[in-house]
Amino acid sequence: MEWLQRNRISVGTTVVILVAAYVFYVVNDNVATSMFKGAWFFAVPLVLGALTGVVGERSGVVNIGIEGQMLVAAFTAFFTAAASGSLVVGVGVGMLAGIVMGAFLAFTTVKGLMDQIIAGVVINIVATGLTSFFYRPGQVLSANMPQWDIPVLSSIPLIGDVFFQTGPIALFALLAVPVVHLALFRTRWGLRTRSIGEYPSAADTAGINVIRMRLLNVTIGGIFAGAAGAFLSMEATAGFERGMTAGRGFLALAILIFGAWRPLRVFAAALFFGFTNALASQLQGVINIPQQFITLLPYLLTLVVLAVAAGRVRAPGAVGQPFVKGEGS
Amino acid sequence: MRSHVKLSAVVAGGLVAALAGCGGTTGPSTGSGGGTNTAASGDCSSAEVFCVGLVTDVGKVDDKGFNQAAWEGVEEVKGELGAQTKYIETTDPKDYAKNIKQFTDTKYDVIVTVGFLMGDATRAAGKQYPNTKFIGFDQFQADPVVPNVTGLIFHEDQAGYAAGYLAGLMTKTNKIGVVLGQEIPPTQAYAAGYENGAMAANPGIKVSKVYHPAGNTAFNDPVWGAGEAKKMLAQGADFIFGAGGNTGNGALQEAAKTAGAGDKIFCIGVDLDQWNTLPAAHPCLITSAEKHEKEGIGTLLKQIKSNEIKPGNFFGTAGISQFHDFDSKVPADVKTKVGDVVKKLEDGSLATGYKP
Repeated sequence: MEWLQRNRISVGTTVVILVAAYVFYVVNDNVATSMFKGAWFFAVPLVLGALTGVVGERSGVVNIGIEGQMLVAAFTAFFTAAASGSLVVGVGVGMLAGIVMGAFLAFTTVKGLMDQIIAGVVINIVATGLTSFFYRPGQVLSANMPQWDIPVLSSIPLIGDVFFQTGPIALFALLAVPVVHLALFRTRWGLRTRSIGEYPSAADTAGINVIRMRLLNVTIGGIFAGAAGAFLSMEATAGFERGMTAGRGFLALAILIFGAWRPLRVFAAALFFGFTNALASQLQGVINIPQQFITLLPYLLTLVVLAVAAGRVRAPGAVGQPFVKGEGS
Repeated sequence: MRSHVKLSAVVAGGLVAALAGCGGTTGPSTGSGGGTNTAASGDCSSAEVFCVGLVTDVGKVDDKGFNQAAWEGVEEVKGELGAQTKYIETTDPKDYAKNIKQFTDTKYDVIVTVGFLMGDATRAAGKQYPNTKFIGFDQFQADPVVPNVTGLIFHEDQAGYAAGYLAGLMTKTNKIGVVLGQEIPPTQAYAAGYENGAMAANPGIKVSKVYHPAGNTAFNDPVWGAGEAKKMLAQGADFIFGAGGNTGNGALQEAAKTAGAGDKIFCIGVDLDQWNTLPAAHPCLITSAEKHEKEGIGTLLKQIKSNEIKPGNFFGTAGISQFHDFDSKVPADVKTKVGDVVKKLEDGSLATGYKP
């Protein structure tokens, strides 16, 4: 009861959205299902990208290189899978590429004390250059990514169709959200992570190895961006194209802020972006509003939310500041 | 205050990435202007030797796209015309004029320039060298025309019409879709032709059409294209026409992955025969809405040789590619009807209803 009281706004919003979705489903199940499916399809890489941001920024490291991490992962995942003939190897190497890019960010900014924004920009530029240069056309995957129907769950009307008739990486994204949420707010690792992101010198005094923990978190966090990249080139399509991330890494950053650095809200925010995208294309040619205005909607809302909630929603205290032992902050 | 810093960082990062994207698409460089000679050199300045030079847009002559088609067009009539041919691959848009000048300096008779972007450089060179003939692919010649420059352009709406007509005859669900790049005249022409062709074949048909909303990534967002195709297929469409570079290719790949691809679900490529360029779409790729660039260039070269060339614009033909593996799946009467429509479009007795 107390929990309900505390979270009445989020719970209330969720219930209202669910009811609206099911009313829509009753009115026209085909259009409703395809639009929500489209929304989740659009949201998967955003959720994953934003989770990389959540883990990094909660530890105090800004990551604007998510776009580059995704792009390199999409590249390595697809070409490894095409060369080895194994989808599993492809996805694995893609995730590994995300981790390696994360490690680069971690070591340059945490150890090398490089400006975090600049390090992120470097990742994006290097990713574009490398993947464009080594790109070879004409490669194909030996098989398509499997589509799974999760037993029982997939037969739930609407929700089952949208979330549980799914490819493996989309399912990974769906599971990663509650896992990261619980880890962040219910475990010792989470408490420590949040403390080094809020007030690293206090955490240091309490005996936490801030440097090591930041290195580890930012590196491991790359696994989500890696999965996002593999999703783009292997699950969503079946091929890599130059610059195919098309700004999704930056969109993930906006969602990270819109979602207030909390995994569950990030999930909701990404779905909202996905839904407006589906709505925009569904309404093209049907009503006479320029589609660009509908596409603008989530960005406008992000601004409104940030303006209204400016006092309550705030970034982790120490985000963007390098930690040097003994110098305080 | 934090939020301010963060947002501006996001914006700055986005800009930088966009800029980097521009640089990246120029692809691997092969040195200064490139250039490969293919024939033994005769003296192009003499009247007997007929020399044809081709300057590619940024890209290679084996790009499986418009540069390759143009070069193949030149090579195909080379023997017939007794021509001596050579190409220069452009690696940087700044070199357009310089590369054209390499041919004018050695007194080539004809210079073919490939791509809309080289239009200005071609017209400028045309004015400067009135004795050289120029063919500009995809370069619409507005008045006043330069007397020795001919633009080779195509009616995209005719290719779209033929594709839509085929889809209209073959659809079982009476729903078809088209996923396009940015909303600009060529994509509008494809879309309008597709819709009108489908209506002509099947008045009860429903055509879903969607343009990519963003400007900078509109032709290079395969994931978005795939998502839109997924939505259309879920809403019952059984033909997907992908007309927007990589964005359209994403839509074709999605259709190829859908259950029933090749039996109940079909897709249609664009610009050239995508059977040769997009193997991932083979499971559903029944045909492509094609601009016959190769034939157009061949025709114009022959006209130059026989001195029948006219300045201004030459409209090449457009239609659909061969069916490849789907040849047996297209009923004979459908083939006859579509072939008939393509012929009527070519000779002008059938209008697509598209007004530019």
